[in-house]
Amino acid sequence: MSQQTLADKVGVTRQTIFAIEKDKYSPSLKVAFKISNVFKASLEEVFTYD
Amino acid sequence: MDFSYKEKGLIASLGVALLIFGWYFYGAFSNLKLNPEPPGFVEIIVLIVLIVFLESIIHSLLSFKNRTQLEDERDKLIEKVSYRYGYWVLSACIWFLMVQILLDTRFDHLIFLTTPNGIFHLLLFFFVLSEVINFITQLYYYRKGI
Repeated sequence: MSQQTLADKVGVTRQTIFAIEKDKYSPSLKVAFKISNVFKASLEEVFTYD
Repeated sequence: MDFSYKEKGLIASLGVALLIFGWYFYGAFSNLKLNPEPPGFVEIIVLIVLIVFLESIIHSLLSFKNRTQLEDERDKLIEKVSYRYGYWVLSACIWFLMVQILLDTRFDHLIFLTTPNGIFHLLLFFFVLSEVINFITQLYYYRKGI
């Protein structure tokens, strides 16, 4: 899935998806849950906390 | 280097502000000792209209090429944090100006800054400085992450 497609599904910009991937931005819980829902996975499977 | 729509807009705003106000302050501060009166109302309105006009054109051109872009929570967070930095700078500058006015006898060599024209231009300069800090901070967070 492209960054733009994910961004459109979640309702954020492609730059925000890029920043999340590069660990330059921690999304809000709302966006984190939306991303998890897109991938049909749990929050822990998509995100990790250091 | 790949810049996003928001970054391009910020760079454009920063460039316009620096160019126009830089030109304005260069003329204003070099004549400050000669002229104690603040500038005319029309002069300031023309300056503001010029900036708004130029920024509107640049932002329209940028948004025309980026119709699908929207503002999200990351943009709002970066904007919020950057405005805080701008506010701190503005507060520090206003305190500096208040001390300058109270202790004008201690700054005899800067006495021209306590004339109505000097105070007006210092205030205008501080507002522009806080806005420039706001733009630079936003650009920094867009590049380095938040």
